[in-house]
Amino acid sequence: MKIISLNKGWLALYYPIIFGFYLCCLPVMARTPLPKSIIQQYTITGTVRDGQGVLPSVTISVAGKSTATITDYQGKYSITATAADILVFSFVGYTTLNIPIAGRTVVSVHLQEDATQLQEVKINAGYYSVKESERTGSIGRITAKNIEKQPVTNVLATMQGRIAGVSIVQDSGSPGGAFSIKIRGTNSLRADGNQPLYIIDGVPYSSETIGSIATSGTAPTLTSPLNSINPQDIESIEVLKDADATAIYGSRGANGVVLITTKKGKAGETRFSINSSSSFGTVGETPKLMNTKQYLAMRQLAFDNDGVSTYPSYAYDVNGTWSPERNTDWQKKLIGGTAKIHNLQASVSGGSRRTQYLLSGNYRTETTVFPGDFKYTKGSAHFSMNHTSEDERFKLTLSGNYTSQNNSQPAIDLTAVSRTLAPNAPELYDENGNLNWENGTWNNPLAGLDSEFESRINDLVANTVFSYRFLPNLEFKTSFGFTDLHNNESRTQPSTMYNPSYGLGSEFSALSSNFTNRNSWIVEPQLNYNTTIRKGKFAVLLGSTLQNQRTERLFQNGFGFASNRLIHDLASASIKTVDLSDVTIYKYQALFARLNYNWDTRYILNITGRRDGSSRFGPGKQFATFGAVGGAWLFSNEAFLKDNTVLSFGKLRSSYGITGNDQIGDYQFLDTYVSSGNNYQGTIGLQPVRLFNPEFGWESNKKFEVALETGFLEDRIFLTSAYYLNRSSNQLVGIPLPGTTGYSSLYANLDATVENSGLEFTLRTINFSREHFEWTTNFNISINRNKLISFPGLESSTYANTYVVGQPINIMKLYHYIAMNPTTGIYQFEDVNGDGTISSIADRHTLANLSPRYFGGLENQFQYKGVQLNFLFQFVKQEAFGALPGVPGTGVNQLASVSDSAAQQPYTAGSNGAIINAYYRYGLSDGAVQDASYIRLKNISLTYDLPFKVGDRLRCQLYWQGQNLLTFTNYTNGDPEFKFGGYLPPLKVNAVGVKLTF
Amino acid sequence: MKYFLIVLVMLLALFPFVGCDNFVDVDVPDSQLTGNLVFEDRTTANAAIADIYSKLRDSGMLTGLTTGTSVSLGMYADEQVYYGTSDENSSFLFNNTLLANTPSVAQLWNESYHIIYCANAVIAGCTDSVALSAGDKKQFIGEAIFVRALVHFYLTNLYGDVPYITTTDYKTNTMVERMPVATVYESIIADLNQAVVSLPENYSTADRVRPNRSTASAMLARVYLYAGDWAEASNAASAVLNNTDYVLENDIEKIFLKECKSTIWQFAPKLEGNNADEGSTFIFESGPPPFVGLSPELFHSFADNDLRKTHWITSLTNGTDIWYHANKYKQNGNTGSSVEYSIVFRLAEQYLIRAEARARQGELIGAKEDLNVVRHTAGLPDTDAVTSVDIIAAVLMERRFELFTEYGHRFFDLKRSGLIDTILPIVKPGWNTSDGLWPIPETELLANPNLTQNPGY
Repeated sequence: MKIISLNKGWLALYYPIIFGFYLCCLPVMARTPLPKSIIQQYTITGTVRDGQGVLPSVTISVAGKSTATITDYQGKYSITATAADILVFSFVGYTTLNIPIAGRTVVSVHLQEDATQLQEVKINAGYYSVKESERTGSIGRITAKNIEKQPVTNVLATMQGRIAGVSIVQDSGSPGGAFSIKIRGTNSLRADGNQPLYIIDGVPYSSETIGSIATSGTAPTLTSPLNSINPQDIESIEVLKDADATAIYGSRGANGVVLITTKKGKAGETRFSINSSSSFGTVGETPKLMNTKQYLAMRQLAFDNDGVSTYPSYAYDVNGTWSPERNTDWQKKLIGGTAKIHNLQASVSGGSRRTQYLLSGNYRTETTVFPGDFKYTKGSAHFSMNHTSEDERFKLTLSGNYTSQNNSQPAIDLTAVSRTLAPNAPELYDENGNLNWENGTWNNPLAGLDSEFESRINDLVANTVFSYRFLPNLEFKTSFGFTDLHNNESRTQPSTMYNPSYGLGSEFSALSSNFTNRNSWIVEPQLNYNTTIRKGKFAVLLGSTLQNQRTERLFQNGFGFASNRLIHDLASASIKTVDLSDVTIYKYQALFARLNYNWDTRYILNITGRRDGSSRFGPGKQFATFGAVGGAWLFSNEAFLKDNTVLSFGKLRSSYGITGNDQIGDYQFLDTYVSSGNNYQGTIGLQPVRLFNPEFGWESNKKFEVALETGFLEDRIFLTSAYYLNRSSNQLVGIPLPGTTGYSSLYANLDATVENSGLEFTLRTINFSREHFEWTTNFNISINRNKLISFPGLESSTYANTYVVGQPINIMKLYHYIAMNPTTGIYQFEDVNGDGTISSIADRHTLANLSPRYFGGLENQFQYKGVQLNFLFQFVKQEAFGALPGVPGTGVNQLASVSDSAAQQPYTAGSNGAIINAYYRYGLSDGAVQDASYIRLKNISLTYDLPFKVGDRLRCQLYWQGQNLLTFTNYTNGDPEFKFGGYLPPLKVNAVGVKLTF
Repeated sequence: MKYFLIVLVMLLALFPFVGCDNFVDVDVPDSQLTGNLVFEDRTTANAAIADIYSKLRDSGMLTGLTTGTSVSLGMYADEQVYYGTSDENSSFLFNNTLLANTPSVAQLWNESYHIIYCANAVIAGCTDSVALSAGDKKQFIGEAIFVRALVHFYLTNLYGDVPYITTTDYKTNTMVERMPVATVYESIIADLNQAVVSLPENYSTADRVRPNRSTASAMLARVYLYAGDWAEASNAASAVLNNTDYVLENDIEKIFLKECKSTIWQFAPKLEGNNADEGSTFIFESGPPPFVGLSPELFHSFADNDLRKTHWITSLTNGTDIWYHANKYKQNGNTGSSVEYSIVFRLAEQYLIRAEARARQGELIGAKEDLNVVRHTAGLPDTDAVTSVDIIAAVLMERRFELFTEYGHRFFDLKRSGLIDTILPIVKPGWNTSDGLWPIPETELLANPNLTQNPGY
């Protein structure tokens, strides 16, 4: 096998020279005598390639004639022409080549990727698509090219660090764990009101959780339905950010819109593709903890400080019950395993010019880093078909995704216990291989693994689009979408998970189950009309939406089993109860329109609007209107810049509009009693559901954006700079209430205005582009500032102690840490109001903002012959709280640095209230906040195309991919990306695989 | 013209839904009832009350689960020893190092006020109801008002000055201020007096799981005792003790059985065959205790001939160490058909209330009689206390032995007798005088600027 390595990259310099020589030869060949008559038609064949290999779906036409064809999957074509004709090779994203046939029978060409041409790519904007160069809105995009290089399961993971303005954080490293996404900052004061709208192939996909607390697994957030989307079936993801792009989604666009487009078949010979990979995931950054010697020294000193000379009988770690000789690294033991991930993807596609199809299947298994036999398996099928009638008036697109997931996991996450368990705690297993309870002196952490979480989710998303062109410029289109999701979750609590001191048998075992079915349909008829009047192009779109979503839930429990082996069988439970059995319906309708006017590809005006009605609001509040206007000036098309050699592209665009948010859950406006599922005297109780407020209505989010897009040197350097200013008002929030009201919150509109403003820069450079060597760089950085603009009545509201006008809404009010008391050694804090005592209301006046200051990514792509190397560094500037496992000196393990007793207040074994109090105040002080900025090698991928030729059909790629491999940070408490302490952080993943296409 | 027709036909054919406003109207889901309908029907109104009892049983102050006062105040005072190390919430309770943001501080507060909200919703709903009969209304309101007083009683004893909530209006309840304990007691007493009038004399069912008039009287006796109104305390206790429905159970093994005739009010279990939650909370079958164990000091304080020492406490040993657990309730699982219910009010307490109230008023003979009733059941001879001071001390001692691990009696008795700062520091090295009151939850202070924190937090 030929060995190619990057350090021979200088060889690449030869290739342009050779290629140039080859091009010079063409006219030479043309001068050779013509072998055939110039008017005689004959068949010409050839292969089209680019730097990476053969290029399918390239259009080849004969200049000046109607004859055209496309290349097949091997990049081959055949076309009939005469010897004197000129062939035109064109493909989106590549420079069009005009090659005279010059009497040849074989014409093979090499297409160059053209940076300028990227501006010609059609961008999916939801109800319409728009040329990249002509869009007036702010749309971020990643494509299959980026997605395929990442060994991840969740679609959100693929966008991390790649799109400006989109902040994505992984909630848990457990298989199937959810991600949090924020597009351009926190708009809503409600923690759960910041989800964008997800649309898969035109079908809105609800991201509302499908889990229940009783059956939840190890993740800090409940099961996310987004796991159902297989990243490898995705062709592109577009993120709509500003008003111009999102206003057409009206009430659901406030937090941005994520459009997911799945892969479609391409015309050509039947083509098979198989991709198989194995990945290995381990926990990356772990905090360094005390060893037994340090730990026991701390404990002994703590009792000493408390004036206790005889250790209590229950202080097993220090009183000699547990051996002081034992020393276990619990992080290694409990979360130090390797998660093995196997992935197999196969697809078949092909079709004619009129009809294309794609069928793909995926099977994936993933184990955990925890001890024990747990597995997450996922199988999915994707189907797509396109058909165009002979006269090209009728078009049909059909796509479907079906996913089946089976996630079996421990119901507890061992991360927290691995960081707090005493290092001399007993063995996990006794000599017989049974769980060791050390005579009941500890709760064996592995007992929790006996409690299993199992989730089986089957999910179908299907969409059909028909369109018919009645007139050359009038098209009618309608889409029918359907989603059907079934979730069957259960969690077992066998008696074996309890300390045997309780003496519990299987009659104490319990099973909780959750059946959630959610299905929805959507119909969206649309009319598109285009016309050209002199230099002006009009595009009009008019459409309407009807959507209905129905969610059925059944939560059941079973207690008391004859044997723990029967624990998964609800029928075997001696007592069964139903906690919840309900059906919720969400209905939505809308009328939307878009008017686009493009004058001479210089001035573009885009007006969008939507009138929405939603069943989530009470009578009289159901309807609202949203809209936006956007404009763009392509100044590079003006006469004075037209032929500028430096500036190849220039566009100034701006937009302003209003969008809304209806993510408030169903029926919130009703004053109802619901069955509580609690039995008393044979009566199932009825309980009031909520404090009710029938008055709440739509919130509005006003968005302004101005952006400058500039391309230099034939777009080899392309810079997009955007400034945005979003203000949301009349916010619909769950206003926190004191417990004295009986509830913790109330849904109401808040007369407060929150502003998110920010800057986003995206830079793409093509550093080197030759036939065999290419190097491109993508860089993005986002800076978001959040501010509470106004809040009438703040002082007398329940937010009085939470928010400050003029400050971000995600600030925390903290104590100001001064120093340790010189005599007692206890932490001291600033007594702001000088009343002699430290109290949370009066003295927490130091503000901390823990949301990221700026974040972004730097991606480099190298290609040398068949070798591709890509890597993405993600960076975030932020602050976070350090480790606060519990009071030093009590029976929890601490960071190794805590063993320096002089560096902190005195240890206590638990009886010194003043020290404990000070410890927790410290945890709410600026002293505990530390820099948690990081730079992370988020993704690296190395792909090698094997240069062998087996019948020329087979293409074989070997690849290695890594995720989260390197992290640079000063943060002391483990993974800095991570925001939920005590849960498994994102894993470090190494993947190797092979991809065959034939 | 033809094109216009095409467009028109398409618009008519495909936009029929536009403007049909009622598409987005949804019905109330099948699993829910609108608030005003609940109280127009006896069955659903009854279900709303039943839910309050199940909430009292499963959450808040009176639950026998680990979060209730029987466990938390047992650890907080000197009845229970916490044997774990890892659970910070429990170790804070045990070490008296609660903070305003300790979970159980907010949990008990929030769950209690939620139950009060539900009770107020029943009172408002029944008051406005058109269809409910006057008798039903009276009973349901009486039960709700009783629950409201009961929960406020625990709140004020735990947190000191607390708001007394009598409405469901969140606007009012959001900005409430703390009321002095004396005012809270006035409201409790007023509510209980109304409950005494409204509640029926007889139990609605034989198993005594719904409070009746005597239950309200029993509560009133306790409240008067705590408030220092000895005469009223004695009268209210007499109202219960004179009721022939209540028979003192002399067999110490049968006092916590569900059929016991000295029970005044008990909770029906969640499921048929379930037993009092206290059983599964306290019982363990081998040492060391996985969670809490009864304090050895308490065990050794019992006289050796005290039947309660042998019948209501179990000791376990591994040969070297010895551990104890409360064994009043002997069932820790489902028994197919329930054996023990969780008893909230029982006759022995009423005897001890009257004994103390009588002693404080100088009725020493009556006081000793009442005290001896309880002692005899425990197999003990008559008390040898003579002076009123001695008798009062003897009653307090008896309360410790009789009512241990029941709803924080011990903690409250130490507080009201003024002995807490003398007795607890002996066994609790971290005890501070300010620990007599729990902190007001931090979340509460943040949400309601009108609230203030207790001293020491």
